[in-house]
Amino acid sequence: MSEVIHQFFDVGFMGEHFDEVLEGFWLTIQLFFVAAVLSLAWGLILALLRQLPGRGFLPVRFLTIAYIDVFRAIPLLILILLIATGIPSLDFLPESLRIPEWFGKPDPFWYGTLALTITYGAYMAEVYRAGIEAVPQGQMEAARSLGMNHRKAMRHVIVPQAIGKVFALMKDTTLVSVIALNEVVLVGQDIQSETFNSSALTLGGLMFLVLILPMARLTDRLIARNQGRIARGAHIEVA
Amino acid sequence: MAETMLKLEGIHKRFGELEVLRGVDLEVAKGEVVCVLGPSGSGKSTLLRCINLLEPPERGEIFLEGKDICKGPNSGTGESSWELDFVRQRVGIVFQQFNLFPHKTVLDNVTMAPEEVLGRPREEARAKATALLKRVGLADKLEQYPERLSGGQQQRVAIARALAMDPRAMLFDEVTSALDPELVKEVLDVMRELAGEGMTMIVVTHEIGFAHEVADRVVFMDQGVIVEQGSPAEVLDNPREERTRRFLGLVLDR
Repeated sequence: MSEVIHQFFDVGFMGEHFDEVLEGFWLTIQLFFVAAVLSLAWGLILALLRQLPGRGFLPVRFLTIAYIDVFRAIPLLILILLIATGIPSLDFLPESLRIPEWFGKPDPFWYGTLALTITYGAYMAEVYRAGIEAVPQGQMEAARSLGMNHRKAMRHVIVPQAIGKVFALMKDTTLVSVIALNEVVLVGQDIQSETFNSSALTLGGLMFLVLILPMARLTDRLIARNQGRIARGAHIEVA
Repeated sequence: MAETMLKLEGIHKRFGELEVLRGVDLEVAKGEVVCVLGPSGSGKSTLLRCINLLEPPERGEIFLEGKDICKGPNSGTGESSWELDFVRQRVGIVFQQFNLFPHKTVLDNVTMAPEEVLGRPREEARAKATALLKRVGLADKLEQYPERLSGGQQQRVAIARALAMDPRAMLFDEVTSALDPELVKEVLDVMRELAGEGMTMIVVTHEIGFAHEVADRVVFMDQGVIVEQGSPAEVLDNPREERTRRFLGLVLDR
């Protein structure tokens, strides 16, 4: 029993490595927010490309669907490794792209952001598509019959309602689960492989618990508050 | 006869195997109110949707104010020859299911298209929308969301929304069919008033009484063709065709 406690819950050990783990934790949070914003935007762009009407846009639709299918199929970990090992070797790229250290963040931060955005953009595109398809056909017809072209109808009528539906679909799960991925786990693993003690990983897990439990509760409350408006397909006010 | 507003020649439309319209000719004069009756599946709704090109016809031609807005795709001209903007800025449509924008207030439902399509300044669009909503009896609902309104109120907003584009003609696609009986009259009253003001209207409806009272002409359709047409007195009181008689018998017996 004491061995188990020593292996997973060594408080002294946790204290020694607290700063390292906290730093990794903080970097993860930042990575998550940057990647979340980027994949929300990239996913919307993909979903809109996929919805372009008419025969002329057939190649665009085809390529978009291919992208979405491929990057949902490739495991994120493989993509991260491909990017982190592949891009630095592309000699024709300038150094600032090969080994990006923008805004004082280390290059793994940006490789991770890129990989997450590529993958979760593809997933988000499908979520947006579900949202767009959940908007009744009559909405597009009403918009078009009032003289709006496809682009204006999407922008003013379909997408605002689709986003409301997307938030209702995602509830609290998708975005929060993205967090539990990276840096903190890696830092914890590093420490474990050096010291053979798992307590650093446990500490990382505890940090997530402290962050995510209140977030989940907050999300529940926001959803409850906005329920009526979501039912109407309205914008969510996250405030 | 007055100036022609709309002229359909040999309109054909099929959905897969199903031939919904099999050669429809129709001419509508400026200011005329035409009521289209017929059993469900007779093609009357599709006819309306062909006119504003929501469902472009396969064959046949449509002239709006003398301009050829659509030769059917099978006549060798492509989508680029359709006059979508021309027809949609001149012909308004009101749907059975209202199709109001649920994420916008009543006022914004009405101002959206004038602002976004016609580029009207916001204040002007709001003033006009307010006047229109007042006219349909909804002056006190401007800032409400559609879900707060009854079906009859929603449908009147939909009429105001179409009118905000200053249409030359209005299409009504069974606009009272989804309404509770006690809400039908308030919508018909608005349409009656509109007809009295000289709006060109094509009304697909099951309201025989309304057709009798308001229509200049009644058109009876069955199986994708116009079976007979004439004044309400001719078609509704003394139908020549057996199919019309049978339909009216079914509708009026209810």
